Amino acid sequence: MLSFMLKRIAQLIPVFIGATLLVYFLVFATPGNPIDALSGGKPMSDATRAALEAQYNLDKPFWVQYGLYLKNLVTFDLGTSFSGQEVSALLGRAFPVTARLAILALLIESVFGIIFGVIAGMRKGKWFDSTILVASLIVIAVPTFVLGFVLQFVVGVKLDLVKPTVSGAATWGELFLPALVLGLVSLAYVVRLTRTSVIENKSADFVRTATAKGLSRRRVITVHILRNSLIPVVTFLGADLGSLMGGAIVTEGIFNVPGVGHLLYQAIQKGETPTVVAVVGVLVIVFVVANLVVDMLYALLDPRIRYA
Amino acid sequence: MTETATPKPLLEIKDLAITFSTPDGPVHAVRDANFTVMPGETVAIVGESGSGKSTSALAAIGLLAGNGSVSSGQILFDGEDISHASEKRFVELRGNHIGMVPQDPMSNLNPVWKIGFQVKETLKANGLAGDNPKQRVTQILADAGLPNPEARAGQYPHEFSGGMRQRALIAIGLACRPRLLIADEPTSALDVTVQQQILDHLDTMTSELGTAVLLITHDLGLAAERAEKVVVMYKGQVVEYGPALDILRNPQHPYTKRLISSAPSLSAQRGDKHEAIVDEIVPGKAEPLLKISNLTKVFDIRKGFGRKEKFTAVDNVSFEIPKGTTTAVVGESGSGKSTIAQMVLNLLDKTSGEITFDGEQIGNLSEKKLFKYRRRVQPIFQDPYGSLDPMYSIFRTIEEPLRIHGIGNAASRQKKVEELLDQVSMPASTMHRFPNELSGGQRQRIAIARALALQPEMIVCDEAVSALDVLVQAQVLDLLDELQREMGLTYLFITHDLAVVRQIADNVCVMERGKIVEQGTADQIFAAPKSQYTRNLLGAIPGASLI
Repeated sequence: MLSFMLKRIAQLIPVFIGATLLVYFLVFATPGNPIDALSGGKPMSDATRAALEAQYNLDKPFWVQYGLYLKNLVTFDLGTSFSGQEVSALLGRAFPVTARLAILALLIESVFGIIFGVIAGMRKGKWFDSTILVASLIVIAVPTFVLGFVLQFVVGVKLDLVKPTVSGAATWGELFLPALVLGLVSLAYVVRLTRTSVIENKSADFVRTATAKGLSRRRVITVHILRNSLIPVVTFLGADLGSLMGGAIVTEGIFNVPGVGHLLYQAIQKGETPTVVAVVGVLVIVFVVANLVVDMLYALLDPRIRYA
Repeated sequence: MTETATPKPLLEIKDLAITFSTPDGPVHAVRDANFTVMPGETVAIVGESGSGKSTSALAAIGLLAGNGSVSSGQILFDGEDISHASEKRFVELRGNHIGMVPQDPMSNLNPVWKIGFQVKETLKANGLAGDNPKQRVTQILADAGLPNPEARAGQYPHEFSGGMRQRALIAIGLACRPRLLIADEPTSALDVTVQQQILDHLDTMTSELGTAVLLITHDLGLAAERAEKVVVMYKGQVVEYGPALDILRNPQHPYTKRLISSAPSLSAQRGDKHEAIVDEIVPGKAEPLLKISNLTKVFDIRKGFGRKEKFTAVDNVSFEIPKGTTTAVVGESGSGKSTIAQMVLNLLDKTSGEITFDGEQIGNLSEKKLFKYRRRVQPIFQDPYGSLDPMYSIFRTIEEPLRIHGIGNAASRQKKVEELLDQVSMPASTMHRFPNELSGGQRQRIAIARALALQPEMIVCDEAVSALDVLVQAQVLDLLDELQREMGLTYLFITHDLAVVRQIADNVCVMERGKIVEQGTADQIFAAPKSQYTRNLLGAIPGASLI
């Protein structure tokens, strides 16, 4: 198990370098000069321009730029933004907000997703199951920004149950509605996945045997159907944590959440390579670590899986 | 009401009818069934799949599938009619009054819980865990004949062999000392010697506990050997019911007669045998088509932390198969017999030794030659459900090898598929159907048609009839025999079932743990087995002593 974990953590290095290189190149190749964006299109003397280009290494060839970036990275220097702020400081402010948002979304989708999924699966073909199937299909089909604006308007403005936007502090309470919006599509997938898995497992031979042993229906469901059905769901949830953090851009935009998505969006607009690459790098690490945790959980849930 | 000296029956099935509602209308799975089980008595229900034997028994423990119900009649357990008992009543009855040992040990234990846990929860659910449940679990596992029960309780099902799992399931079934045990084909998935041990053990345990057993089986020989009374079911009806030996020796119903004549365990004893065709095809001594010499296969088994262990699955095996004959490789699971089949099919690389087919060594064939070799040697696998692609129509399944090997055009291939279906006695209209619409026996016929499509010289049958009911098995074996006579096919027949060997093989190799312990003609092996292992295998065939 230990050697497997070390191997997986070692895999982080090439994945990280590959991802940052790709992002670095994409920002580099984007049309438009970052200096123009910085000056806001105002005329600028050639000397100032050259000085600024030198300051941000923009005058050097691509490989040199990327090499310098990696060199600084080793000393935990993520570079500075065009506004002169340390990227690490920007990230330090935005990351916890998005992490809170994503974790809340993950909690909502796993708790409600699994509960609804199990009930629907056990009552296949009954009204609850049919309702859940239709509702989840609607949620999957409607784009997130539509759902987001509708919920914001209805719950936040008309009903006035929560504040429609998030303050700079971004507390857990304020983040509930954005998290619901963020997790809603995944919630629909979790419901469907759990439902299918439960339906498959409830007709398994070992479930019949468990019933034949004299166990109550409740125990058969919780002990023999649920754990076995969770195996594919856990895989999905783990991979989803990464997507939630990366995919928060739209939700953060709607609710004005000062998170990573917000930061990334602004950085891309300005062509601020260090910030873009840093954000993406962190997201890559989150993604890989989340997948590692999934693999561990997988072995925990299913004893037949052993890593060597 | 008349009081008599005879004891009250424990289970009484009276005019029982069970109906399943399906989209195509109601299906009457059981009609007018009548039989009784006295306390402590063993009653066997015999029949093929779909005969209603399992359905009748499952109704008695309230485990009919969701769309099935008792439509008329009564199930009296200890005088109480439980045919429409509530789920709550069944939860009370199950475990400590009526226990069950299910059919397939591979799928009936929950893979994610330890064996000990699965035994313990049975005790708890029935309020019998006592003060020291752990000790009780160990005792129960020990009683079921599991060696080293304390350590075994801490293991997961996948760490158990099939036989051990079945012992664990027997332990669970008997854990709460039920008065009636429903044993649904408890050993049909196991090797014969293991089957014998387990049934012996079940006999001992149930007679000690005074448990009545309702044994469900498709094997009449086994039923007659183990049960006092036999119920023969056919198409949902009880066609014969009475003392076991009477039925075996003097069957009344034509179906019972057919069942007896095709039961491999019984015919093996009688010595029914197909005719070798060697002499008809090649006068004099036949040339070996396949020659295996010193074949060895070693697997690396990973033990974690980079440690590896060598496992010799096939150990220095040599034999020859003369053209136009059938050679059976017999052994229990883990004996290496299927590994040989896979190496002959070139699906698995050998570690050392030689496989020579028609004078040419295989194993280091070029891609082009391998392609040609594949055309000459075709497989039929065990599982007729898993070995046909469910997304392919029957036509596409049979036509695919022809297309891959570039044989004929669309029209001629269509004709060829029709011919092939005819050869395996399936109507041409089958080609538009899909595997899920066919029965196990029909699917195996399709697998044979696919194997024949390329007009191979040799067919490797890897447990090709093991998953089939006795009657279907007999039909498929007849078909293979007939095809051999017509086309001069050579068979390499891998099986765990000596009874099947008797019906089809000319030569036999008996394998144990990767080695051939005995080889010779089928007559030699059956009439005068030399090794103790072969004698054990022969002795373990159920019903051996009855005829």
